Amino acid sequence: MTRLTVRNLTKSFGKIEVIRGIDLDVADGEFVVFVGPSGCGKSTLLRMISGLETISGGELWIGDRKVNEVQAAKRGLAMVFQSYALYPHLTVRQNMGFGLKVRKESPDEIERRVNEAARTLQLDKLLDRYPRELSGGQRQRVAIGRAIVGDPQVFLFDEPLSNLDAELRVHMRAEIAALHRRLGNTTIYVTHDQIEAMTLADRIVVLRDGRIEQVGSPKELYARPDNVFVAQFIGSPKMNVCPVEAIRSPLQRAGFSTGGATQAGLRPEHLRIVDEAEGILCGRVSISEYTGGGALLHVELEGAPVFLVENSGDDAPQPGDIVHLAFSGSDLHLFDAEGRACHREPELA
Amino acid sequence: MALSQPQLATVKRTCWMLSLVVVAIPFLFPFLWMISSGFKGPTEIFGEPTLIPRTWRWQNFVEVFDYQPFARQYFNSIYIACAVTVLTLLLSSLAGYALARMRFAGAALLMVFLMSALMVPEEVTIVPNFFLMKWLGVMDTHVPLILLPVFGPHGVMATFLMRQYFVALPKELEDAGKMDGLSRVGIWWKIALPMSRPALAAVAIITFLFSWNLFLEPLVFLSSLENFTLPLALSNFTDPYGAPLWHLQLAATSLAVVPILIVYLIAQRQIIESFAMSGVKG
Ligand SMILES: Nc1ncnc2c1ncn2[C@@H]1O[C@H](COP(=O)(O)OP(=O)(O)OP(=O)(O)O)[C@@H](O)[C@H]1O
Ligand SMILES: [Mg+2]
Repeated sequence: MTRLTVRNLTKSFGKIEVIRGIDLDVADGEFVVFVGPSGCGKSTLLRMISGLETISGGELWIGDRKVNEVQAAKRGLAMVFQSYALYPHLTVRQNMGFGLKVRKESPDEIERRVNEAARTLQLDKLLDRYPRELSGGQRQRVAIGRAIVGDPQVFLFDEPLSNLDAELRVHMRAEIAALHRRLGNTTIYVTHDQIEAMTLADRIVVLRDGRIEQVGSPKELYARPDNVFVAQFIGSPKMNVCPVEAIRSPLQRAGFSTGGATQAGLRPEHLRIVDEAEGILCGRVSISEYTGGGALLHVELEGAPVFLVENSGDDAPQPGDIVHLAFSGSDLHLFDAEGRACHREPELA
Repeated sequence: MALSQPQLATVKRTCWMLSLVVVAIPFLFPFLWMISSGFKGPTEIFGEPTLIPRTWRWQNFVEVFDYQPFARQYFNSIYIACAVTVLTLLLSSLAGYALARMRFAGAALLMVFLMSALMVPEEVTIVPNFFLMKWLGVMDTHVPLILLPVFGPHGVMATFLMRQYFVALPKELEDAGKMDGLSRVGIWWKIALPMSRPALAAVAIITFLFSWNLFLEPLVFLSSLENFTLPLALSNFTDPYGAPLWHLQLAATSLAVVPILIVYLIAQRQIIESFAMSGVKG
């Protein structure tokens, strides 16, 4: 049973503070995903957990053991790297067995565990090849295989899919999810792809500038973002945010109270194109991007910035058309001047 | 008549080959001349020049060994070059790895300091080195011939070459090694070294050659015939008046190039193989 506990963790490179006090509890068997924009410290945090990077301050517990000073290999973790980091001079079999060999397991045991992992990942036929003789997806699978043979308590992934093409990425994503269901290890996964985060995670940790912005299930983050940053980071295309002032009168006319909020947010997929009578907001389509299943409309509202609107079906309005938009009150997000969410009374029980 | 594409390629190829052969002649000719003269008698060498000897004097290659302890000298050169090569590989890869990957105070300064050693010609340092070796009591032994190349400018250059190669190796591989439980030394030995075969091969070749061709140091530090290395021995095939015995000297020189060719062939295969190996990701 492996909980992971992070208390006020900090990291500085020289004078630059990169991780600024992270608190996090990861439950046994949980799949946690770190997301955030480039340079926010995801990799650094993961590497601190792995032991590849020293910890400047705070505490890190794996299970009941404080591991601040414990060597990487002795923390009971396995890591999958973005570049796969397979040893080019060793075969797949040797790559997978390498860690066990360093730990002086018996050759029979190594053989058994490598074969078992190879079967799990369908690598049986590739065991005697060199990494250079494998495709990207196969290398990725070997890298995962190398991680699972050691039977680690916690898996760490640092953007493992970012070197794969789009199709393979979707496929490997499903494989990783399946693997997690089967093995049930505690997993921490870094990505900057929020779709990957949404589909894989039990809980998502959104990071910015070395701080946690919000922790929660994908649903929570999507439905009740704590602040504008999370609101815009989660979901694609990103949430439309504008000053409340710009749309105050339409909102009041529709009977939505805005309280003390200064910013309002609406997701493109929650805006419906309706008749003039039902419409709350009104604007002119400036661009219509065909997306296959529908179109992504750029709508210029009166007095507000351009809103993105997702329109399904073939009858998309053309540029220049005037459209009327409606939404339900529960989909309206309100934020105060600092960008923090103003949580209203739950409208629906 | 127009040529088809493959024919054109063949013609192009042939032209290239011919021009390369022409360019190679000035390089190959002295070599062939040396070997052929090694089979000539002392008079024929100065007679009408021919590339194929009129009479083959095989006994040159026997006399070479009778004239002085040539077998012994040959062995000296081989074992010294091997020792220098092995030690240089070991030290330069260790030091190069440290300079490439370990952060320690004064690393940059140390690098500058080491590089400055490259700018001092050995003729300048030979005198202090002479006194040092004398003080150590190793005159007329092979110790200076091993120590000086390993720790001198040549060793620094080897270290620099290794450092440059290590710096370019992907860091994630070493992280993977750490996660697998390797120590620093383990990473150096099991990951960095196997991945650096092209660099190691290059350093091995230039080091072996360097030691093999060393002339000034043996001249300064060695005095007894049976301690001589090949370069000294070769210059020692003279008649009682000090004039070179060309036929013996050239026969001996022909023998002396054999190990170099062997080393080159072995290391060259290594270099090519390693280039094929080194694709980290596709
Ligand atoms: N060894 C280092 N020395 C100095 N600064 C570093 C070092 N490693 C990372 N940083 C800095 O720390 C910050 C966080 O880096 P990190 O690699 O963790 O970002 P990331 O969130 O993983 O970004 P990405 O999505 O691009 O991988 C960056 O600003 C980076 O410049
Ligand atoms: Mg990163």
